[in-house]
Amino acid sequence: MRTWYRNLDYVALFLWMALVAVGLTAIYSTTHGPASEFLLESVQKNFERQMVWAGISLFGIVVALLLPVPFYQKAAYPIYALTMLLLVAALVAGREVNGAKSWLYLGPIGLQVSELAKVGTVLAVAQLLSSRRTQTHNVRYAVFAVALVALPAALIVLQNDMGTALVFFGLMPILLYWSGLPLHTLVLMTSPALAAYLAIVYWPAAVAFAVLFTLGMHWQMRERYVTALAGLFTGGTVAAVTLALTKVLQPYQVARILSFTNPEAKEFRDNVGFHLVQSKAAIGSGGLLGKGFMEGTQTQGAYVPEQSTDFIFSVIGEEWGFIGAMVVLTLFALFLIRLVVLGAQIKHPFGVMVASGAVGIYLIHIFINVGMATGLLPVIGIPLPFLSYGGSALLANTAMFAIALTLHMRRDDFSIYGY
Amino acid sequence: MEDYRIRVKIFIGLILVVLSVLGLRLVKLQIVDASAYSGESRSNAIREVRVLPARGVFYDRNDVLLVDNEPTYTVTLTPRYFNRSRVGLLAELLGVPDSVVTRKLEEAWQWSAFKASPSFREVPFDVLSRILEHRAELPGVEYLVAPKRRYLTEARAAHAFGYVREITPAELEKRRADGYRAGDLIGQAGLEKHYETELRGRPGIEYKQVNVHGLVVKPYRDGAEDVPPVNGYDLRLTIDSKLQALAESLFVHKRGAAVALDPRTGGILALVSEPDFDPRLFSKSIPRETWQYLTQSPEKPMFNRATMSGLPPGSTWKPFMALMALQEGVIDEHTIITCRGGYTLGRRVFHDHGGHAHGPINVRQAIQHSCNTFFFTVMMRTDVNTWSRWAKRFGFGRRIPMDLAEQSPGLIPDSSYYDRVYPRGWTAGYTINLGIGQGDMVVTPMQLARYTAAVANGGTLYPPHLVDRLEHPETGEVVRPELPAPEHLPVDPGFFEVVRDGMRLVMEAGTGQYVQIPGISSGGKTGTAQASGGRKDHSLFVLFAPVDDPQIAVAVVVENGGFGATQAAPIASLMVEQYLTGDVGPQRRWLIPYVMKMESEPLPE
Repeated sequence: MRTWYRNLDYVALFLWMALVAVGLTAIYSTTHGPASEFLLESVQKNFERQMVWAGISLFGIVVALLLPVPFYQKAAYPIYALTMLLLVAALVAGREVNGAKSWLYLGPIGLQVSELAKVGTVLAVAQLLSSRRTQTHNVRYAVFAVALVALPAALIVLQNDMGTALVFFGLMPILLYWSGLPLHTLVLMTSPALAAYLAIVYWPAAVAFAVLFTLGMHWQMRERYVTALAGLFTGGTVAAVTLALTKVLQPYQVARILSFTNPEAKEFRDNVGFHLVQSKAAIGSGGLLGKGFMEGTQTQGAYVPEQSTDFIFSVIGEEWGFIGAMVVLTLFALFLIRLVVLGAQIKHPFGVMVASGAVGIYLIHIFINVGMATGLLPVIGIPLPFLSYGGSALLANTAMFAIALTLHMRRDDFSIYGY
Repeated sequence: MEDYRIRVKIFIGLILVVLSVLGLRLVKLQIVDASAYSGESRSNAIREVRVLPARGVFYDRNDVLLVDNEPTYTVTLTPRYFNRSRVGLLAELLGVPDSVVTRKLEEAWQWSAFKASPSFREVPFDVLSRILEHRAELPGVEYLVAPKRRYLTEARAAHAFGYVREITPAELEKRRADGYRAGDLIGQAGLEKHYETELRGRPGIEYKQVNVHGLVVKPYRDGAEDVPPVNGYDLRLTIDSKLQALAESLFVHKRGAAVALDPRTGGILALVSEPDFDPRLFSKSIPRETWQYLTQSPEKPMFNRATMSGLPPGSTWKPFMALMALQEGVIDEHTIITCRGGYTLGRRVFHDHGGHAHGPINVRQAIQHSCNTFFFTVMMRTDVNTWSRWAKRFGFGRRIPMDLAEQSPGLIPDSSYYDRVYPRGWTAGYTINLGIGQGDMVVTPMQLARYTAAVANGGTLYPPHLVDRLEHPETGEVVRPELPAPEHLPVDPGFFEVVRDGMRLVMEAGTGQYVQIPGISSGGKTGTAQASGGRKDHSLFVLFAPVDDPQIAVAVVVENGGFGATQAAPIASLMVEQYLTGDVGPQRRWLIPYVMKMESEPLPE
C-alpha cells in the first residue's frame, strides 16, 4: 500500500525550514550578542519566542497535511468570515502597537489579526474563483473577488496599518491574473503604481513612462478606449502625485514620503530618514563577505530600529554580506518558483489559486521589505516572510504554505467535478 | 491550457525580475558603494579611545625618583550621545552649576560630536563613582584616567624641570599633526618642554564598539586593530636632589640663582632660581590672583634667573682677568703691582674697596685680597677687543648650547659696542671698570658656574646639561643626549695653577676665609656688583672644591644681598659641603638657619 505522504514535496518543505532557520539565526544575533544586556527587555527573549513559534508552525504543517482537500474548500468562507470578525474585533478592542490598532490579545498571547486575514482572504478568493462559472460571468466574479480583498484591506486601513493594507491591494492584480483576466487589463491596472513610484522618485521619468506607456498600449491594442484609459491612468497618477506633493500634503508628510530617496540629507538623517540611513549603512558596510556572525557593529549596537522584525534583512546583509544576502534571495526565488510549480501540478483552480495567492503575498512582502531595507522604497513596516520575528506572521505565512503543500500532496483527491 | 502555461512562465519571470531588482540593489550597496557605507557604519559604531602613554619620569644622579605620575579622573562628554535633559543630573553629581555643564557641552560640540571630550578634570574618586552609578541614565558620559605630575622630593627645581599643563587652543592648532588633542598635557618650560617628544611617548588607540545610545558595548574586533601606547623615556638627571633641596631652602627671602656643575662633565648638580613657583599649580586652571603674581610681580617667579638674569660679575671676574693677562703676557706670576688704594686715570680715581691699600702685590695676592688696583692696571694694559675676545672664549656673551632653551647671552662689549653706544666718543675711563667685572657687561649665573668649572678643571668648557641619559622604562633602551664637544681654552695649564692658588688663598686667608669648608680645601672668589637704582649691591660667589681634584663648581648670586662674602658665600660653601660629604657637618648646622634669615633688599611695589 502506498503511504499517504508519498506525494509530499520535500524540496519545498526543506526550503521553508531553511528560510526559518536563517531567520532564527539572524534573530539570535540581534538578541544574544555581546551588547544584549543593553537591549529593551521586551526584545531580549525574541529568539526564544520565535523558536516556540517555529515549533508551533512545524506542528501546524503536520496538522494541515493530515486534513483532507474538501475540508479546505468547505472551510474557506467560514475562515474568511472568522478573520473578518477578528479584524473588526481588533478595531474595537485591539491594542495599538506602533500606531496601528491591529493586535488582539488572548490572555498573554498577542495576535496580529491582519496577518491571519491574509490566509482567510486567499482561501476565500481561491474558493470563489474556482467555483464553476460560465465565461460570461467572468467579469462579475472578478468584481466579487476584488470585493473579497477590498473588505479586509479597508478594515486594515481603518486600523491605520497602511503597510499591510498595501499588501492586499497588491494581491488583487495577482489573483485576477490567475483567474484569467486579460493581460492588457492587468497591465493597465498596475500601471498607476509604477507611475506613482516614478513620480515620487524622479518626475521626468514618470512623464516619460506615462507617454511611452500610452503610446505602447495604443500601438498594441489599436483600441481608442484602451489608449484613453492608459493615458488617464498614468498621466492622471503623475499629475495627482505631483499635485499632492506640492499643494495638498503638509510639508512633514512630504518629507516622510520623499525622505527615502535621500535619507542621508541633514534634515532627514536623525528623524524620518534614520531607519534608512542605518539600514543602508548596515547592509552596505557588510560588503562582499559580511562582518561575521554576531560581529556586525550596526546590529550589535542596535542602530537599525526594529532589526529583529521589519529590518531583519539588514542584519543578514551586514553580518553575512552580499553572499549571505544573495543566498537568502536565492532561497526565496527557489521557494516561490517551487510553489508556483506545485500549484501548476495540482491542476485544480483552487490549488492553483491558493498556491499563487500565497506566492503573491510572499513576493509583495519580500519586494517591499527588502526594497525598504535597501532604501529602494520608503519605510513601509511589513515583515520579511519566515525571517522576521513575529509569531502571527510566521504562523499565517506558514499556514498558506502548508495548505498549498497539502493540496499538492493530495492533488489526486480533488473532485473531478471541480473543474 | 496554452494560455495557462504561458501565465505560469510569466509569473515565474515576474518572481525572477523582482528578486533580480533587489539583487542589483544589493550589488550597488554592498559591492559598488561598500566602502562609503563601511565608513558610515564605522563612524557610527566605532569609537576611537586614545590611550595615553605614561609620561617619562625624572630620577636624580643617585637614582632618587623626583617626578612621576599619579592618576586623576577626567569625566568626558560625547555630545552626540549625551542626553540634554540630563544636564541637571550631571551638574548635581559633579556639584557644579548647570551652566558649567552646558558650557562644557558646547565646547565639546566645537571639537567633535562623536568623540569624547575631556570636560571635567581631577574629579574626585567618590564623585566619579556616583556618576558611574548613574551610568545608564548618562549616555555619552564616560571617564578616563589622566596622569598628573607628582613631585616626590623637596627638590622642586621648578625652572630646571619646567612644568606641564593642558595644551592651549593656539598650541593645539600648531601641533595637532603631532597627535595632540584637546586636553592633552604638554611640557611648557625647562626639561618638560625641551624633552617633550621623548617624555610624552606615543598615544595608543583602542577601538570600542558603541551602541545606538552611545554606550560602549565591547572592544571592536577584540582589540585586533588597537594600537598600544608607547611610553615616554625616563630622564636620568645629573641633579643631586639633596643638594638641590638644600640650596632652595637657603634661598628663602632672597632673589637670586645658584648653579652647581660637575667640572669633570658639565653635569648640572643643582640649578636654583628664586623666587620660584609650584609646578603643581598648572595641573588645573590657575586662580586669577596667582596668575597675576606669577606673570606680573616684579619678583618674576617664572623667570629663570640661573640662565636668564644678567648681572655684572663683580670681583668674581678677577680670576678670568688673571688668566687672560698671564696668557697674553701682560703680566707673569711674579709681576708686582703696587696698590695705593686706587687707580688714577686723568682726573678720576678708581678706588679699592673702602680705599684699602694693598701695597706691592703679585697676581695670587691680588686675587686673595680682591685688589682692584691690580686689575685696573691689567685692564689698562689690555686692548678692549682682546679682553672681549677672551671673555667670549670663556663662554661669556653668548648662549650656552644646552638643554635649557630659556637663556640670555649676557653682554660682553667690544670697541664697536662703545662706538655704537657712545657716538660722541669714549675713553679708557669707560672700559677700565671691565677689569673688575663692572661697567657695561653682564653675565648669567650659568656662565659664571661654567667658567668656574673651567678654572677648576684646567681649561675645559664642558657643555652644561641636566640630562645624563634617557632610559626607556620597558625596553631599557638608553639614549645619550647629543651634547656639543667640550671647548678647550688656549691657556697654559700652569697659569690655571696660579689662579687656583690665588682662589685657594681666598678661602684660607682672604675674603672667603669665614666660609671655609672644614676639612676640604677649596678655591673661591667673592663678588660684589653694583646694583642699578641705588639699591643694595648684588652678592656673588664662585667656588670649587676640592682644589686637587675638583668635583663641584658653584656660582651663587643673591640680588641686592650686599657684599659677596655675606650672603652668596655661605650658600655656596654649604652647597659644596653638602655635595662632597652628603651632609652639612654639625659644627656648621647653625649656619643654615642663619643664612635662611638673610634677605634680599625688597623690591618696591
